[in-house]
Amino acid sequence: MRVCVIYPKSSSKKVITKEEWEKKLSEVKIRKEDMNKLVMNFLVTEGYVEAAEKFQMESGTQPDIDLGTITDRMAVRKAVQCGQVEDAIEKVNDLNPEILDTNPQLFFHLQQQRLIELIRSGQVEEALEFAQEELAPRGEENHAFLEELERTVALLAFEDTANCPVGELLDISQRQKTASELNAAILTSQSHEKDPKLPSLLKMLIWAQNQLDEKASYPRINDLVNATLEEPVT
Amino acid sequence: MPASAAWARPEDLVESLSSLDNTARLKALRDVKNQIIGNKTKKLSYIKLGAVPRVVEILASDTEIPLLVQSAAAVGSFACGIDAGVKAVLDSGVLPHLLKMLQNGDNKVVEACARSLKMIFHSPLAPKSDMFEGHRMELILELLNNGSENVAEVAASVLARCCETLEHQQALADAGGLRSLVSLLAGSVKKQEAALDALAALTKHNQQLSAILIMMDQGAALSLIIRLIRDKSPRMRLLACMCLAHIGKACPAGYGQEDEVRINMLGILMKLLDEPGQVGEDAPGVLADLVTNNEELQKIAQKENAVEKLADILHRDTLPAKQLEGVLLALAELCSRLEESRRQLLDSQVEAPIVAAFGHPCEGVKVAACSCVKSLSRSVKNLRTALTGERLVIPLLQLLSDPSSAVQVQAIAAVGNIVLDFTLQKTVVMQSSGIDQLVHFAQSMDPILRRNAVLALKNLLYMADSVVKGRVVNELTVSTLCELIRDSEEDVQEQAISLVRNLAYGDPDCIDYVFAHGDLLLQAVEQQLSVSLRPEISMQALYVINNVAAGNERHKDAVMDLVAPHKALSNTSGFLLNRYLQDMINPQLRVVAVWCIINLTYPGGTGTSSRVTRLKNAGVESLLQKMADDPCLDVKDRVKTALEHFSTAVTLVATTSGQ
Repeated sequence: MRVCVIYPKSSSKKVITKEEWEKKLSEVKIRKEDMNKLVMNFLVTEGYVEAAEKFQMESGTQPDIDLGTITDRMAVRKAVQCGQVEDAIEKVNDLNPEILDTNPQLFFHLQQQRLIELIRSGQVEEALEFAQEELAPRGEENHAFLEELERTVALLAFEDTANCPVGELLDISQRQKTASELNAAILTSQSHEKDPKLPSLLKMLIWAQNQLDEKASYPRINDLVNATLEEPVT
Repeated sequence: MPASAAWARPEDLVESLSSLDNTARLKALRDVKNQIIGNKTKKLSYIKLGAVPRVVEILASDTEIPLLVQSAAAVGSFACGIDAGVKAVLDSGVLPHLLKMLQNGDNKVVEACARSLKMIFHSPLAPKSDMFEGHRMELILELLNNGSENVAEVAASVLARCCETLEHQQALADAGGLRSLVSLLAGSVKKQEAALDALAALTKHNQQLSAILIMMDQGAALSLIIRLIRDKSPRMRLLACMCLAHIGKACPAGYGQEDEVRINMLGILMKLLDEPGQVGEDAPGVLADLVTNNEELQKIAQKENAVEKLADILHRDTLPAKQLEGVLLALAELCSRLEESRRQLLDSQVEAPIVAAFGHPCEGVKVAACSCVKSLSRSVKNLRTALTGERLVIPLLQLLSDPSSAVQVQAIAAVGNIVLDFTLQKTVVMQSSGIDQLVHFAQSMDPILRRNAVLALKNLLYMADSVVKGRVVNELTVSTLCELIRDSEEDVQEQAISLVRNLAYGDPDCIDYVFAHGDLLLQAVEQQLSVSLRPEISMQALYVINNVAAGNERHKDAVMDLVAPHKALSNTSGFLLNRYLQDMINPQLRVVAVWCIINLTYPGGTGTSSRVTRLKNAGVESLLQKMADDPCLDVKDRVKTALEHFSTAVTLVATTSGQ
């Protein structure tokens, strides 16, 4: 006689205990050198040049890029973050003139940032003249640029710029956005990926856990910083 | 004005470029450079102010490193993105100075100069062949081994842009370029991309170098390139595909797993069509190269909706010339054989963008648009229904007078297809100056142009009425036609004889055009029939004979005089058709030769019995009897008919004599 047992859906998931899980994890081998490379990649991409130098000395890990170029790149980024856009442009042109000559969108955003800085400092006439001289021709070449230009010039129409509809352009995050775009372009020109690898690995971890959730109950990592293994939900 | 507060007036800045004070000169140079980078308007205005010769002068005569670096960078920026800038720097004689500085001891100078060269040679205006004079090429090749990341990358990019002709490719390969470039494939992303770019230039239409690259390091180089079609960087994927497409096109023998790689590339390229910027612009051209002459792949592309996707791009507002050209070429290839693809393309309402492309300033775009129409018009159905409008035909005819011969060649080829068979297009051609132009090109010095023009006229005459035929014969003249039949190029001969075949097809009025100048034309055809060794030519000539022989008594007798002249009767080998009746290699030739006999002996004519007698005397009947069991069924059937004609004629003769 055959007995047919139907399990409820939730209990059809396999349960893996913390002990089993830790045992399996301990069987996975990660090479120390690989870890060091990931750390170095993070330091280099994020521009922690002194930390990278120290780390190179202490761990013997070779950076995948000339550390000297990081200093230049960081100087460019910092200049934008401080609102010294002209200075940033001169620096990046010394680094590699092709970057701005072959990347119209980035060039436009830098010029737009210059305009924003002029408006921020209340130099209305200068801002208008700059928009007319430098930005308007770019707008003629590209419709999307024209729209962005109009949005930026709109800042001049408001008394209280900080609370106007386009006020976010004056926000510090706008500088960050421009600085990141420039930073990414420099990294690309140096054959370096614009994002560090560590965050991608963590993203992959989260994705893999979500996939596994559908099939098994296991000690999940919810707290990425402490990497604590939670008890499996049963 | 604060934006340029740090900068003096442009006029003063330009003046300072020639200042005697080094510091002032350097400052002016940097200011100009920083103003023009990324800014076309500024480039143009500084060119107008005469800044370029002053910048070049610094490069030519200064020795301080910062001055040299800044001036080379400024030259590069002037040449980046605008033709006027390229022209200005070349006119200032910058090339020898840049090349000389490649040997400078300071790597910063070397890098800046190499980068300038890259910018200059990116433009079609740059004198590519100049780089192959003296030891210039070796200078660039040496830079491939430069320790600096950037220098090697930039040098490979310069090579990629300079290498255009077979001689260039050979010179580069002889200097060891292939090997050095393959070594770069192991480097950083930028080096790999530049190396692929240059390898693609080296293998384009070059079977020998493609074969060497396939075999290099037991196929390791090729495998590496194949891996790179899946790289993270879209530009890398594109360049790897471009390289492999060039190798595949140049080297029909191919390599292992090529079919599989091609299918992968098709999918990858289809996705790259949507990439922004340069990659998306170049992708359609690579796709066109990939599917050329590969019907299997064209079928797969059709199933993947490649035609619709490309047609969508064609409908975009503004397309860069290169992208437009690539899209049209890819469509031309995809529609070259598959009716289904042609239908898809026509359903996508592309007539307007194609007609617009006829008027594009760029030669390549016009050529591509003609190729596209040529492919579409291979479909009889399309000719009947879609490609009929004057809107298409008239602008196409205008391209016949295009200053570029490449455009003319393709335009004539397209005209040749669309005039086939259908009255509507023929009328449009007749009403415009189309015939004049085709007649003009039929006498061109360029053999391809000549061939295409004759082909177009031939198609125009296909099933045409007597008015069209009369006009073509009048304008082309019998004597020109005879010259074309005796042309130095066999391709032209074949098309010219085939033209006479179409001329002679139909009612006796039409056949009369063949005799517009006595039997000069027929004699020219007969001459080729006697001497030509090319079956295609003999075939067309036999068709001419056959079509004339199908005419009235006068026509038939003219053929008899030609193929079986009275004086040669003593010798059976003197009968021209016998050679073709006995051609065992080409059954098609035998079929048409027997058809000629059938038409000559067709019962009921007043001269039939005399022609039969003459043919009998020439040994034709006994030859035909031997062919009664010809291995080719078609021949066998026709022989039976011919022999019946012979016996009918005998009976008739007997009856007559019996009365």
